[in-house]
Amino acid sequence: MRKSHEKLSLSWLLRHPLVATCILLALTIVLPYTRVGEKLKLVTFLPLAHAADDVEQTPYEELSEDERQRIDLQRERERVTTLITENARLRETLAAMDGLATRDTDFARAPLPPAVNAQVLFHGDSSAWRHSCTINRGREHGVEEGMPVVAGLTLVGRVFMAGDNHACVQLITDPGFAASCLIIDPDNKDAEPVRGILRGDGSAMPHFPRLELEDVAVGARVHAGMHVVTSDYTGQFPVGLSVGVVRETIPQAGFLQVRIEANLDLSTLEVVQVLQHRRPEIEEQALKLLRKK
Amino acid sequence: MATAFRIRSQTPQYRWRIVVIGGLTMAGAHAMLLHRLDAGDFTPDLFSIFALYVGLFASRHGRYTPSLVLGLIRDFFSIGLLGSYGVLYSLLHKVAERARGKLDPERPLNVFLMALTGTFLVNFGYHAMLVIAGDGIGWTRALARCASIAIASAPFAVALFPLFHLGLDTLRVDRQGGYWNF
Repeated sequence: MRKSHEKLSLSWLLRHPLVATCILLALTIVLPYTRVGEKLKLVTFLPLAHAADDVEQTPYEELSEDERQRIDLQRERERVTTLITENARLRETLAAMDGLATRDTDFARAPLPPAVNAQVLFHGDSSAWRHSCTINRGREHGVEEGMPVVAGLTLVGRVFMAGDNHACVQLITDPGFAASCLIIDPDNKDAEPVRGILRGDGSAMPHFPRLELEDVAVGARVHAGMHVVTSDYTGQFPVGLSVGVVRETIPQAGFLQVRIEANLDLSTLEVVQVLQHRRPEIEEQALKLLRKK
Repeated sequence: MATAFRIRSQTPQYRWRIVVIGGLTMAGAHAMLLHRLDAGDFTPDLFSIFALYVGLFASRHGRYTPSLVLGLIRDFFSIGLLGSYGVLYSLLHKVAERARGKLDPERPLNVFLMALTGTFLVNFGYHAMLVIAGDGIGWTRALARCASIAIASAPFAVALFPLFHLGLDTLRVDRQGGYWNF
């Protein structure tokens, strides 16, 4: 190991890869608790986010009158185009949700917490296994870690880390994502909802990804076409957010594996809403569940 | 012997800009461009290809540090556990160093084989880390996915390695004993 006259320097660490690896692993364990890693990640995300946001670099005051008018007109056009696109998309979502609401009135009537509108700055993650996106709203706008992110009434993910003006969203397709869900039969309102746990599988399906529902009891009556919505069992998400539609069921040892198709094309998301829903304390959640029973 | 002497006498010239800018470019490409290919599981892992290149051709004076830096850059741009790719790319560097002794990395077939194995191992290792964190997707599916990524990535390595050579040559980076001095 290190001799007494040898200085502990970078070159010494380079000559002893095992020690360096041990230090790195120790840092890997310690850093998540100090949140240094997340902060650094956010700092590295921001330049890309700004680049993707296409922010005008030249100060507005320094431009000539003609240039100002041209830029104003251009901005107005862009705004109108964005609004038209957003309006069409929201109308589609609303129409889809109205269809769901007429069939699943109990879930659609559940009151939702206030929402913060956010623009998706960019999709994607540097790892092929992870799925995330960055939005232009952060702590200053009331966004906190763990809050659900939706598009219309469809679950998109949850806030993974929040900066002052930006936040990183973990999408439902990320392997680290899990949510308690209910499978409901739209054609039979009297049928008992079936519980299951939604888990992202890192699916690289570009459009309308396939997801999986785990821990569904073997005897449960689940068939293709049933709807999957969030449950408030753990208190992480409000009840009734749409997730997807059951496509296939595969019996496994002890449990039923349910494959579902997401209701949203995650790769084309542009506008999302962060629901200001806070996970209740464990005592509050326990009382809530007791009252339900 | 002469080659060994030349490698040892190569003055350390840590051009961190090459590693850092290369890493940032690859991270940007992965985060913002590659998912637009809509290739599903067959999306190439260009970052690992670049890490393999660094592992094969970077100056031996830097040991595995450039690969570690590359891995950390990728970690910073991902929501995964910090250090995952750092450790994986350091190990890839070690494996590439040994493979280089047996296979000539200038031959396209060898590059193809090394890229196929390298990207497979990196992705499989990443899945192993996901399993440790309780986020695994199942070994069978993971194997299929890693194989798909490796198959999609390997041809890119054959095309990209000569381009990297050309780029470094244009930047007038010294090359001795087959190793670029960065």
